[in-house]
Amino acid sequence: MPLLGSADPIAIVGAAATPVGRLAPRRGEPTEQLEHEVLAEVVLRALDDAGIGNRDVGSAVFTLPPANTLQLGFATFMCARLGLRCTGQVAEVVEMGITGGLAFDQAAADVSLGHADFALALGVSFQSAMPAADAMEGSIRVVGDVDFQSPFGLTPISWYAFDAARYLHDTGASREDLAAIAVKSRQHAAHNELAQFGDPLTVDDVLNARPIVEPLGLFDVPAIADGAICLVLARESTARATGKAFVTVRGRGFYHEGFHQVGDVPGDITAFPAARRATDAAMDRAGIQLADLDLAEIYAPCTITEVLVSEALDICPRGQGGAAARDGETAIGGHLPLNTSGGCLARGHPPSLTALYGLLELRQQLLHTAGPRQVNDARLGLHLCELGNYNAALAHVVEGPQ
Amino acid sequence: MSLAIIGMPGDRPLAPRVTRFTAQFWDALAEGRFLVTRCKACHQKSFPPQAHCKSCLGCDIDWIELGGRGRLYSATRVHAGPARFAAALPYSVGIVDLDDGVRLATRLLGNAGPEHLDQPVQLVVTRYQDGPLFAAELVAPDASIP
Ligand SMILES: [Zn+2]
Repeated sequence: MPLLGSADPIAIVGAAATPVGRLAPRRGEPTEQLEHEVLAEVVLRALDDAGIGNRDVGSAVFTLPPANTLQLGFATFMCARLGLRCTGQVAEVVEMGITGGLAFDQAAADVSLGHADFALALGVSFQSAMPAADAMEGSIRVVGDVDFQSPFGLTPISWYAFDAARYLHDTGASREDLAAIAVKSRQHAAHNELAQFGDPLTVDDVLNARPIVEPLGLFDVPAIADGAICLVLARESTARATGKAFVTVRGRGFYHEGFHQVGDVPGDITAFPAARRATDAAMDRAGIQLADLDLAEIYAPCTITEVLVSEALDICPRGQGGAAARDGETAIGGHLPLNTSGGCLARGHPPSLTALYGLLELRQQLLHTAGPRQVNDARLGLHLCELGNYNAALAHVVEGPQ
Repeated sequence: MSLAIIGMPGDRPLAPRVTRFTAQFWDALAEGRFLVTRCKACHQKSFPPQAHCKSCLGCDIDWIELGGRGRLYSATRVHAGPARFAAALPYSVGIVDLDDGVRLATRLLGNAGPEHLDQPVQLVVTRYQDGPLFAAELVAPDASIP
């Protein structure tokens, strides 16, 4: 059965996205555009990029719109507006931070299984109009046991704060080391037209920012952001017939440790073994090793997250993830550039869409269309997204044109 | 052994739902006893308590009482929280590894934070007007000797 990493692998043949930032109407101001209007424009651009029309699309896998989205039944609602007639599936999928990756996976499976010739992995997220304190009313119920953890006020990023506190305690690394990730992210985002924050940031800016969840401050954590994105997928044989440039998925891996956030068995919460297992599985499937990668785009909402993933994957030694960013090892031009888009902290983080934006960045880099942030001769990229506190991870190895 | 019971003002910011099964935990907690479930077949402990063993799926379980003594594995002070916790900001939460081998997440009393990792802590009952929760507080080094 043809699946990811097979003789007829999955290709990304088209893509479009809005810049990440504020798209949602602000309270008390005239409504410029609603979710479906923004996403429709993006889909039209993505289809144009792929050189196909609406009747060529056989599957449309949407990320579940956030809870404040008034239009429900969003998937069929959008398909009706876009004139899609699907043979594979029309669906909204969700599972925390892995949501975009899951939409990508399901779209990929549909074209791989022959349920569709072209499949869309797409979504729109408007959250910026909702005050953070209101948004967290919902998110505390996502990231913990509602009856035994949520009553203590454990916010999503408080789990990353736990990681950071333990990591700094165990390794002797400093907040300055974590700040290096935020500084590097802004440097990368300065050259990304899709980025939310392209202005430079200094280590002192990060250290002196107001605390959010100690030891993490304002610039160690992501801002609320909106976005809309659409990727067009096809089998490589189909993609070749379009005559357009495309990238292909060479491997895929997933692992869930079986915990929901923090489990009841003591262990090192900073080790992120699922990130390693999923990545190893994807690289095995692709027949490559870490040293073969030219760049990686990883789901890292906070500074500490990129540090821990880079160490879990052995990109740098334990305790050195921040130093590797500061020394340029994981910056563009370095040994293995991480998050050339600017990542969650600077490109921006609409959580359900972040994985799709990450895959879009790989596509741009591997097609050598990333402009001033282009990684020289980029041929192989890794994408990694997660759910929970990296209790689960989903990895894809993507290759540029042969 | 009984946990200290500390009176708290007002209602719980978010009250847990109580089922016929979990009532056994919450009723004991109100009396100062901290219970977890343990599988009779494989001795796996579970917290939150559950009616079957997550290791072997056996349904023959015991309720056992823990002493509530442990160490602070990690901690943070939350400065931006959900609307219903606004009055408590900033508040401290942490991960506690109990001496009995169980890890849990809970509220930390006394402004504990990232600078207190690995220090001994003790579970306590926080008694709100609408019911109990639990929390952990740092144990002064000299107070750790009975
Ligand atoms: Zn058992």
